[in-house]
Amino acid sequence: MAKKETPEMTSSGGSFDKDLIRELAALLEETGLTEIEVEHEGKRLRVARGVNLTTTLTTGAGEASPPQPHTREKSRGSRTEEIVIHPGTVTSPMVGTAYRSPEPGTPPFVEIGTQVTAGQTLLIIEAMKTMNQIPSPKAGTVIAILVEDGQPVEYGEPLAVIEQR
Amino acid sequence: MFDKILIANRGEIALRIERACKELGIATVAVHSTADADAMHVRLADESVCIGAPPARDSYLNIPAIVAACEITGADAVHPGYGFLAENARFAEILEEHDIAFIGPTAEHVALMGDKIQGKETARKLGIPVVPGSGPVSDLAKARRAARDIGYPVLVKAAAGGGGRGMKLALFEDELEAALSAARHEAQAAFGDDTVYLEKYLAKPRHIEVQVLADGLGNAIHLGERDCSLQRRHQKLWEEAPSPALNENERVQIGETVAAAMRKLRYRGLGTVEFLYEAGAFYFIEMNTRLQVEHTITEMITGLDLVIEQIRIAAGAPLSLRQEDITFNGHAIECRINAENPHTFRPSPGTITHFHPPGGLGVRVDSGAYAGYTIPPYYDSLIGKLIVHARTRNECLMRLKRALGEFVLDGIETTIPLFTSLISEPDIVDGNYDIHWLEDHLSPNPTRLG
Repeated sequence: MAKKETPEMTSSGGSFDKDLIRELAALLEETGLTEIEVEHEGKRLRVARGVNLTTTLTTGAGEASPPQPHTREKSRGSRTEEIVIHPGTVTSPMVGTAYRSPEPGTPPFVEIGTQVTAGQTLLIIEAMKTMNQIPSPKAGTVIAILVEDGQPVEYGEPLAVIEQR
Repeated sequence: MFDKILIANRGEIALRIERACKELGIATVAVHSTADADAMHVRLADESVCIGAPPARDSYLNIPAIVAACEITGADAVHPGYGFLAENARFAEILEEHDIAFIGPTAEHVALMGDKIQGKETARKLGIPVVPGSGPVSDLAKARRAARDIGYPVLVKAAAGGGGRGMKLALFEDELEAALSAARHEAQAAFGDDTVYLEKYLAKPRHIEVQVLADGLGNAIHLGERDCSLQRRHQKLWEEAPSPALNENERVQIGETVAAAMRKLRYRGLGTVEFLYEAGAFYFIEMNTRLQVEHTITEMITGLDLVIEQIRIAAGAPLSLRQEDITFNGHAIECRINAENPHTFRPSPGTITHFHPPGGLGVRVDSGAYAGYTIPPYYDSLIGKLIVHARTRNECLMRLKRALGEFVLDGIETTIPLFTSLISEPDIVDGNYDIHWLEDHLSPNPTRLG
């Protein structure tokens, strides 16, 4: 989902520490990294920026905000281009809300490093109050999970990357 | 009022609706297929959601995806535009079940007018004139009586028919017997049922439609008529308002008839009642329960933004205008710029290399096109609408000629040369055309264009 407004946090539980985000964003700038993910007090936070974010925004005829470190929410457009290249990318077959675990409070279906078999559930996407299990297309290792729990996803959005053994 | 409207459409109309939302201060969500990621309606919306693969059934007709897009963006209303889901009663119903407003009439009225037989019956009951017809006629004596009531010429039609089979024309009474027996014979052979009925035959009708605006609370006004007689294969290409064929009396009369019918129906939103018009009489064809492509010419002569009115009414506001507030100012013509070969009308998808729309006083271009835009092959070929407005029809024609000459749209074939040639046709200049005129004009000598 491409948003063109002021950055807004998608939080899956409570508010995030804005200072922490600023700190991480500054770190991104400094290191030249495109993504940092931290876990802190039971909350996971990922700050990322797209390498061609500037292009994405200026081609948009709408009010473009100056290039700055963005949350994953903002940089998804450019991430799509990076990730889609990986042959093991699993994309969303529908619009909806992604959930990483079967129920709130239960462990996620998979984590980075989980060995999966073909057909094993990676996450679920809720659309119109229906839970749709997203299976792994092949056996392998989960090398990236690209969505947060409770994150809205659009059609074709990269969800995870499975590397075949 | 709504906080956020999701526009379940694409192209120029999605952009048109975004403009109204912005002027109302309402946030917009564009939905799009993977083929439309670079489209202008996506770029100009506040948010966008990719809802599926290029084929319309996977994206713009995909009800679960559109509802899910409302859920993840928090949109509280959906504008369906025209085409796609605009006249899908089930869609209107599903949105209602999800507490999302459908910017249009009630699902019940969408379904009622979507069924052409029920729609005609409803129109007749509401006092709208319909094409006179008979019930089944079993013998010549009954047929003669029915034909005299209807008035010649009449068509003898198979009750089980379709596609022109079992349909015979009787211009005068002495042709009725032969037409009746031929139609029955053909109906029996084609459908295994020789039941036939009679209907008034219109030889050279015009297509004239009346725009209505109603609030669902029993208030309704008409916004005059549009003449859409210039068609090819039932596709309108050129529309004008007011119709060159109507006088002030006829306009007021048919307008008031339609508005009264909508009050009785307690219709809500924008609607268009389409008629065939011949020899001073109107015959109902169907009612469209949505915004029309050619709504723009009504906007030009009334000065009203129909989409803004439509959104206000969908949000529950009563009609803010009375009939006496509506005045018709000057003349407006719309030309549909399609990505098509102007002779063969074969679609011409591709990349627009240069784009420079005409401008100046009284010129409006509604289009999502831009230089570098690639027209995807999956959807209809309408890429823009050129609308001109002037004080009189003559001035309007001169302005149209000037605007067509300014239009730069390279890289693909368009219908612009067709309009350039039409504008110097004496029949067009005189407003002397019917629904067959354009096809007749195109068929014998197509090379005279461009």
